Amino acid sequence: MVDQLPNLGREAEMLAAMGMTSIEELFADIPSEVRMKDDLPLPPPQSEEEILSDARRLLGSNVALGERVSFLGAGLYRNYVPASVFQLVTRGEFLTAYTPYQPEVSQGMLQAMWEFQTLISELVGLPIANLSLYDGSTAAAEALTCSVRVHTRKATQKDTVYVSELTPPDRLSVMQNYCQGAEIKIKLLRHNDDGTLDMDSVSDAVGSCGVYVEQPNPLGLLDGGVTQLKEILGEHTALIVAVQPVSLGLVEAPGHYGADIVVGEGQPLGSPITGGGPIYGIFACSKPYLRLMPGRIVGRSIDVDGKTAYCLTLSTREQHIRRHRATSNICTNETLIALMGAMHMALLGPEGLYDLAVRNMTACIMGKQKLATIDGIRMPHSNGDHFNEFAIELPGDTKDCLEYLDSVGIVGGFNLSSWYPERTNWMLVTFTDQTQANHIDLLVRHLREWISTLEVAA
Amino acid sequence: MSHLFEHNGAKGQGYSQPAPVLPATEITLPSGLSRKALPRWPRLSEPEMVRHYTWLSKRNFGIDTGFYPLGSCTMKHNPRVNEVIAQIPGIADIHPHQPEHHLQGLLSIFHEMQYMLEVCAGMDQVTLQPVAGAQGEFTAVRCIQEYFRLRGEVQRTKVIVPDSAHGTNPASAAMCGFEIVEIPSRTDGRIDLDALRAVADDTIAVMMITNPNTLGLFEEDILEASSIIHDVGGQMYYDGANFNAILGITSPGLMGFDAVHFNLHKTFSQPHGGGGPGSGPIGVKEHLAQFLPGPLVGKRAADDDELDAAVDENWYHWYQPTHSIGKVQQWHGNAGAIIRCWAYYRRYGRGLRTMSEHAVLNANYLRHAIHKATKEAGVDSLVVDGAEAKVAKHEFTLSLAPAKEAHGISAMDVAKGLLDMGYMAPTVYFPLVVPECMMVEPTETESKDTLDTFATHFAEVLQVDAETLHAAPITTPVRRVDEVYAARNLCLRHPYDDE
Repeated sequence: MVDQLPNLGREAEMLAAMGMTSIEELFADIPSEVRMKDDLPLPPPQSEEEILSDARRLLGSNVALGERVSFLGAGLYRNYVPASVFQLVTRGEFLTAYTPYQPEVSQGMLQAMWEFQTLISELVGLPIANLSLYDGSTAAAEALTCSVRVHTRKATQKDTVYVSELTPPDRLSVMQNYCQGAEIKIKLLRHNDDGTLDMDSVSDAVGSCGVYVEQPNPLGLLDGGVTQLKEILGEHTALIVAVQPVSLGLVEAPGHYGADIVVGEGQPLGSPITGGGPIYGIFACSKPYLRLMPGRIVGRSIDVDGKTAYCLTLSTREQHIRRHRATSNICTNETLIALMGAMHMALLGPEGLYDLAVRNMTACIMGKQKLATIDGIRMPHSNGDHFNEFAIELPGDTKDCLEYLDSVGIVGGFNLSSWYPERTNWMLVTFTDQTQANHIDLLVRHLREWISTLEVAA
Repeated sequence: MSHLFEHNGAKGQGYSQPAPVLPATEITLPSGLSRKALPRWPRLSEPEMVRHYTWLSKRNFGIDTGFYPLGSCTMKHNPRVNEVIAQIPGIADIHPHQPEHHLQGLLSIFHEMQYMLEVCAGMDQVTLQPVAGAQGEFTAVRCIQEYFRLRGEVQRTKVIVPDSAHGTNPASAAMCGFEIVEIPSRTDGRIDLDALRAVADDTIAVMMITNPNTLGLFEEDILEASSIIHDVGGQMYYDGANFNAILGITSPGLMGFDAVHFNLHKTFSQPHGGGGPGSGPIGVKEHLAQFLPGPLVGKRAADDDELDAAVDENWYHWYQPTHSIGKVQQWHGNAGAIIRCWAYYRRYGRGLRTMSEHAVLNANYLRHAIHKATKEAGVDSLVVDGAEAKVAKHEFTLSLAPAKEAHGISAMDVAKGLLDMGYMAPTVYFPLVVPECMMVEPTETESKDTLDTFATHFAEVLQVDAETLHAAPITTPVRRVDEVYAARNLCLRHPYDDE
């Protein structure tokens, strides 16, 4: 602690200046009944070297995906973040700033976020983006409550939203927590056996406030039917589409097929997986949602000399002004991670995004081609096109398969029975720009071996 | 270049990528889903990109740049080793769905952090999942809501919030569906017990309050306030924004609170990154623990066949609370922030009390130094304490109302004058109960010399004539920004030539 406290040893001098003789006098207003009687039951202070050594030992014992061959995704995707992003984002002027309440000395971050808003806006094909929400799930949840604020007055299904039944339960749970306070009913949209959205089910959603689907869907399937939704739903129901942002190097921007709000996990652009946080949530929308949307927004303005300057704007939606009538309680968001996203997008450029999307999608295609050669593995949605991942049905228990793969140094896919209990033996296998052809060969070889152990047992 | 979109160089990108594993011609897409035009992103080489963001960084002020006395935000130094630790692959390159035996190191750190926060707050169970202070508030109020539902006390539809509270308090409670009852504070910002008694009845679910309060003063009547609420069957919620004042000295548990959130980006030095990420764990007493968002981390003795993957004699595991409200973030919260804050707390360990003592010492010393400097400069009549108090805690308020009355100099003018002196300005116009308010929080990581110099410069700013101050700042990258213009002429993205 010595290196963090510049006034250690100067306490007496400082107290004397105030006419005091002990630190205790500074706490005289805290009644004895609420005083802590004992020292905190915590370990003794450590030096930087000792902390780093403990951190290396403990974190070093975790299995980092880069040490293995990994096929685990399911919403978070291993990627490569260019070195310059890490170098720049740890500049103290960015890293150690607070929210830009004094715009005159915060132009750097404000402009970077205005640029981020533009990059996201262009990416998803909508005119407005905020400067991030916490993650994809909270962005999705805020999109639902936003759609109700905008549409419930004219809706025939008041306070009602529809969400794809494939939405992962953890994401759905976040939505439920955010929606229950406003008594919003969340109904489910069905999918067909081939994984695509059931259009009859979509007609049920007509007259509701919002419809939430994912593109690619949680099983990696790209669904052309999603482009027809806006026409079915009409202007009084918000079409909310969640995206894997890298896919938009190949896949049409949802704003161009009628989406009113686009959300998503920004992580694949700019951020390592980091155990699921901090990452950043994307939130973009069209003009009718602007004044009822959540989160911070930067606007371009001028200073007193007429020079271009940036500042936070539309703050009257926010909690520090509107208090309990605010559009959201969000205050702290994920600005620095969004900045990493902006830096990555700036380095990629349009063609780099396309190349990155191609690397992700072709890895997935190669995975499909090679896994299709394994006897005993069924691909329930094999007729569709997939980005990053697809479901397979195994001839045995997924948990058993994952344990086997783990024993040979492979982080297998995701056990889908934990999302969809009725889908026993299903596994989601994920391929990203970090997947190499020999990784897939290794997976195929060991899946075959695992299957042969089942046959022996049978 | 003045902004990113003026770069439109050669087709290519700022970093080269390996070839795809298959040619792009292998790709098929459903009809209508093929992207027609790529986003109009800029085209920059790496040197251009590095220079752009370095230029932007130079137009931004952080703690590393200079003194950052932003009240209520606890802008303490962010130790750099924490950034090194956060890049270790065992945190940067792990997936939350990996099996427990891949993540024993992470789980043991989570377990240690739960425990550390529990003993600091006097709570029985902590969850690390909420990713910001406001989300922590929301999560805790949700847990209390479910607690009352399970008890059948559905008539409890109201949440009490003092008028001096942070705006997130009423916003978070309203998001849970509660009606907000705002009660007036006394002129010193402290809680008005009579006003509290007047609204306390069996329709109250929660009272949300911070202590020390938003004026930096300790609520001496906090036990009485707690018993008023508990007597009508309500719950007490502690807003941990001001936790930096009390670590190891008192705790929300001792004050009678049932639930608390922590702002790890304030008290435990997670860098705030210009607006986030933060981390907002919550702690609760036993009766609320079963409602927390899961999973939580527990531990048991490791079995023999687990010792290879174990980091000590224990096995750390996830478990679900029995009546969990579910999730508030899809994964395990901001794990990377938790790791940084673990590294931070380890520096102090049981000495965290010294950290809080120095935070309070510095705040009181600066208050004293400002009064002394303004007196010596003959401008002490222009600034008064925001509230009468012998001692403040980790922050204090000043009122520039006399300066406004005498010379038309507002708190904002003084704030902009301080920017010209090379400082971040204190928080202004909050809390609202203090006219022309300036809230100052130096934190424990500023030296006496910095505090002395700031006090002198503060007095100097007060000697500047009103006209000059109205025109401040003049030395910053831009001068006073027209926020009204920004709102009336909305420009929220780069206007491309064809727009």
